Formats: sequence, structure tokens, C-alpha cells
Amino acid sequence: MNPAPSRPSTDALPLKGIRVLDIATIIAAPFCATVLGEFGADVIKLEHPEGGDGLRKFGTPSMRGDTLTWLSESRNKRSMTLDLRTPEGADVFRQLIAQADVLCENFRTGTLEKWGLGWDVLKAINPRLVMLRVTGYGQTGPYKDRPGFARVAHAVGGIAYLAGMPKGTPVTPGSTTLGDYMTGLFGCLGVLMALRHRDLTGEGQCVDAALYESVFRCTEELAPAYGLYGVVRERAGSSHNDFAVPHGHFSTKDGKWVAITCATDLLFGRLAQAMGRPELAHASTYGDQKTRLAHRHDVNEIVRDWCGSLNREDLLARCYETDTPAGPLNNIADIFGDRQFHARRNMVAMDAPDTGEQVIVPAPVPRLSDTQGSIRALGPKLGEHTDEVLRELLDLNNEQIATLRDRKAI
Amino acid sequence: MTVDLLQADGVQLFLQLLAKSDVLIENFRPGTMESWGLTWDAIHAANPKLVMLRVTGYGQTGPYRRRHGFAHIAQAFGGLNYLAGFPGETPVLPGTVPLGDYIASLFGAIGVLIALRQAEKTGCGQIVDVGIYEAVFRVLEEIAAAYGLHGTVREREGSGSFVACPHGHFRTKNDKWIAIACTTDKMFERLAVAMGRPELASAAMYGDQRKRLAARAEVNRIVTEWVGSHGRNEVLGICLKEEVPAGKVNSIADIFADEHFQARGNLASVPVEGLGEVVVPGVVPRLSATPGRITHLGPSLGDATEAVLGSLLGIEAVEIQRLRQQRVI
Repeated sequence: MNPAPSRPSTDALPLKGIRVLDIATIIAAPFCATVLGEFGADVIKLEHPEGGDGLRKFGTPSMRGDTLTWLSESRNKRSMTLDLRTPEGADVFRQLIAQADVLCENFRTGTLEKWGLGWDVLKAINPRLVMLRVTGYGQTGPYKDRPGFARVAHAVGGIAYLAGMPKGTPVTPGSTTLGDYMTGLFGCLGVLMALRHRDLTGEGQCVDAALYESVFRCTEELAPAYGLYGVVRERAGSSHNDFAVPHGHFSTKDGKWVAITCATDLLFGRLAQAMGRPELAHASTYGDQKTRLAHRHDVNEIVRDWCGSLNREDLLARCYETDTPAGPLNNIADIFGDRQFHARRNMVAMDAPDTGEQVIVPAPVPRLSDTQGSIRALGPKLGEHTDEVLRELLDLNNEQIATLRDRKAI
Repeated sequence: MTVDLLQADGVQLFLQLLAKSDVLIENFRPGTMESWGLTWDAIHAANPKLVMLRVTGYGQTGPYRRRHGFAHIAQAFGGLNYLAGFPGETPVLPGTVPLGDYIASLFGAIGVLIALRQAEKTGCGQIVDVGIYEAVFRVLEEIAAAYGLHGTVREREGSGSFVACPHGHFRTKNDKWIAIACTTDKMFERLAVAMGRPELASAAMYGDQRKRLAARAEVNRIVTEWVGSHGRNEVLGICLKEEVPAGKVNSIADIFADEHFQARGNLASVPVEGLGEVVVPGVVPRLSATPGRITHLGPSLGDATEAVLGSLLGIEAVEIQRLRQQRVI
């Protein structure tokens, strides 16, 4: 594991000077702020004084009482408590907005407006503000008021229908929060583009991101194929055998799994070589993709038998030797033991404050050659930076802070 | 536009184009561009402000950098495919084959925008390096931390979830599917009301998430039975009335018929010569002041070669003719 470089400073990072207020919860909108923070933005999480962000309770508990996802995805953020529903809290919020570049929120549509903190109000306070709004269905349209979770977004956006064995129960597409992350990424793109427009014109704007849309946006030819030919794509199990054979997941002798993708005849020739059966790739046998598609059952069976006769390591070694596209279906134990993950420093060990726990989290992606992002700290304790932010940004004194605390605004 | 980078004239043209560009996007196997003389040093010299995005299966460094990088394999390597499917059964595709491509590309675009911002400040471009496997690994929430601390290996969870119950896909009476996500006790309480069995959410029964997780088979059986006794529209209507997070497991046919997709403009219809109207996903995300747009769909091969060479590089018709004859373009 790679120890984190000792608290690198943000001075050289490209988003230094950008201030982000994160009043959002769980993963989708907060992940946008997480990425901005890795590249140097000052991210202040504003959380409800009682319990804070629900992500603190989502998943495996840490020794400190919050959760591992919280520690990982709230990396580099500062936590300040603020109750937006109190008049004092709303007032503090408006003052913070005046000094912010970006606001990330994911309340149900109309909630901020109900508190008198809608876009029009915020824009009047700070015309340069960029506001990211993430909901299940977006800010407009007939379903805008429905509750939105990634599970439901995967279903509505069309990928849950496609995951699973043909005619079997549709399954989770790998991870229940995938749609949250994808929306955070699209949201982050929107924010960066809006910031550029803001820098050029002085005009801020709203970025409206919907969980289901982020999922649907990544479904390649699904829509045009239906629109033009009426093709309703169905669940394809482990292989996408409509285009290429063999193409899928195969189990090995030691009970592990590999992915093999022979998208072209050339690649199938290499696989046949790896199998020690070059004759399979002859024109008279299965050398042609059309022949393989027509006899997909036979071809898959031959590949399955071969995979079942070797341990994964040996099988992959033969594939790599002939440059056949293949790889392991890694579980997290495989990943921790893998040279590539270590060489790329994809995992960083960070000390959790207070408990001395070492928490291993994914390193920032992507990798920038001159201004690489960094993890300076794991997720903060609830309200850890409340006083610090109020002093630093709003110049409040101890007495004023105590008053806010008495009124339960912070 | 077409250009053959294996020819010296092609490389020269390419360097001239770089001088007029902001971003270069490539996904050759590491070392390929270098073998054509297009090293970062040469590119950077042609245009110091240029930002270069390199996307490959395994990234530009590390022992596997030269391996084939198809999304299917890279996302399996990154840990996603292992998790899709039923426990103990064959792992399935997590929905679509190129999901990992899309995720890597989103990270790449973020990197490019950040690098452009930096280049505007400093005058210096840089390389954005993305491995598809690491983009996928980055979005797998707590699985690294949970393995590191407790040795927990996350396994396939079928249509459900390890952290909440009921949370999955259920078959309706008319043989369609809906997703229900009761992430919290409050959501389950609403579902119990929707099912006409509010007592299920009592403290003595399944009011608490931990109790539901412990009795997951029974809770799922109750929900499966209830959903199976209604048509999809009916069960969804009841859920939404009680504000239970639920939605259709849409096929593409369902999506085309859906009023929300229509209202949000998610199905963009774009005319293509010879094909008529082609429906594609609209632009995401939606920017209020400067919305994106689709001016046209993917071009035919080389349809802008002459326009680019002529207007951007000021190359004359005779020279374009020569380049064409030499098969440089």
C-alpha cells in the first residue's frame, strides 16, 4: 500500500481558490465536490446539526462511528453544521453563498425554494455562483417530485433491464451506487464548464443533473437501434454474443473467472493459438466472425472447456503471451494483490483521525502529469470545522458563534 | 478528416494541426504514438498549451500498460464485473459492455477541463492519463476500505443490496419488473402502508433495517408476493402515492413511451442523410445559461478533410491533391 504523501499543500493544485459549498447528501452531488476537492478546491460541507449527511450512516461502520464510504468520499472536505431551516442558519448560508463559487445540492425539487433559498435568491446574492442540482429525475418534467435513488435510476435509465441472465431476474449492474457516481461525474463536467463561462462573462448558472439521465446517456446504440429498427435489447448474461464470439466470462479450473473478448478474427486467431489449437481459426473452421456467430454455442463450449482445464494464472499467462484480449474478473482481494494497482498507486492508505485506524481508499482519478490531485485528509467529523469556517469566512467572534449554537442554527 | 500518421507527411500535418488545437485525445496502446515520433516532447514543442488525454485499459504506466484494453476486460479487471450477477453464479455484464469506457471518458473530460483551466493560467499544457480499470475502481464506494480493514470481499448481490432491504427488482403480475429501494426505515414504513400492511413496519416486526437484513428472505418474499399480485402500473401508482422510491425497470421500448423522457428532451431526434430521423440520447447535464446541443451525428469518414486543411491550415488545393494522391489523407 502506498502511504499518502504527508499532507501535500493545495498551493500547486489547479482548482486552488475555488470555494465549494456542499449541502448535498449521500454520493451523487457530493462526489462532484469530492473530485473538485482532490484538485484543490476548498470544499465546505454544510450539514444538519443532528446527524449530518446520511452518508455518515451508509454502509460499514468505522471505529469512529461514521462509515467507510463517508471517510473515503468526504476526503479533503471541511464539515460545518448549519440548519438551513432556522432564520439564523439561512442568514449564515446567504453570507457564505456570497463568498462561494460553487454550490452542490440534491434536495427534492422545491425544497430550497420553500426555505427562501431558491436559485433566484442565491443568484441575486452572488451572480457568479454556479449551482449543481442533482435529483432522481431532474428539475423539470412530470416525475420531478418523485424520490430518486440510484437503484431506481438504474431501472428507469435502462441498464438494470440489461443486466442479468436472459429472461432471468434483472440484477444490480455491479454496484448499487453506480448511477450516483456517474451523475457526480456529469455534474462535475457541468460545473467546470459553467465555471469557465463564469470566468469569461461573470455570469453563473444552474447545472441540472438527473440520476436516470446519466445512466441513459451511457447506453451506446440502445436508443437509435430501437428508433430505427425496433430492436428491444434484452439481458445478455455474461456475453454480448450479438457482435462477437467468444465474448464473455468463463470460469477457470480453480473456480475463478476471466473475461475474454474476441472482437475480431485476428483476435480469435490469437486465442486459438493460446489454446494450442490454431486450426480453430482456419477459414474452414471458426476463423470467420460470421461462422462463430452462427455456431456461438459450439465455440463458447470449446472456450469454456479450455478455461475449465487451467488455473486462472496459467490461462491468462497463455493469453497474454499471444496478445489475446483477456483478463481476470478481480474481486477486491485480487485487486489488493495486483501489481498494476500498486504500480499505478491506485490505493492510498490514510490514517483515520482519532482512532489510528488505517483506511485504504481509491486514489484520485484521472492522473494529471503536472497537477495531480491528492487526498489530504479523510472525511471530517460532524462540525469539525464549524468555528474555523465562521471565523475565517464571516469573521464571527466567539460570542456570535455561541449565539448561533444556542439557537441551534449550527 | 483522414490522415495517415505512418507517413512523415501525415505526421507533419498532424503537428501543424496540434499547433491550432487545445486538446488532443488518443487511445493507442502506450508507445504507439512515440514510435511515430509523436512523443510528448514533440507534441508539447508544437503547442506548449496543448492538453493531451490518453485513455487506455491500464493507463500509461505499470506492468500491464501494453495489454489489450477493451472495456469489457478493463472493467472486469477494475472489479465491477465480479459484482454483477447472483451469488455463486456466473458474473454477468453490468448492463452494457462499454460502461467502463463511458466512466473513464467522464473522468478524462473532467481532467481535460481542469488541465485547460490550468493551461490558461500558466500557458502550460499537460497529460491527462486515465486507465479504464482505475476509473471503474474509483467508483466502487467502500469495497477497498472494507477489505483493507476487515478483510471483507464484496460478492455478487443479485438483484438486491447488502446494506438495505427490501432493495431490488420485483416481478409484477403482467411479467414486467419494478425496482424498489427502501434505503431507510422511513421508506420501508411507507412501503408497508402502500402494501396495506402497516404493522410490518412496527418495532416488533421489521421496522428496523437490521431486522430486515437479518430476515431478508422473508421480507423479500412478502414484497415479491405483493408486487406479483398487481400489474406494473398499478403497483407503481400505489408506491408513488406513498412516496416509496420505486420505478419501472425500463426496456428501451418503455423509455421511448415514457412521458418524462419526452418532457426532458432525453430522446434527441436528429436527421441523417439517407437514414431519416435517428434517435439518440440528448445532452447531459443541462446547463441553464449555456445548454449544449447536437449539431449533427457522427460524420462520414473524411467529410471535413478538405475544409480542415483549407480553412484551418491554409493549405492550397494543389497540395491537398498531392496529399490525397500520396494517400496521406
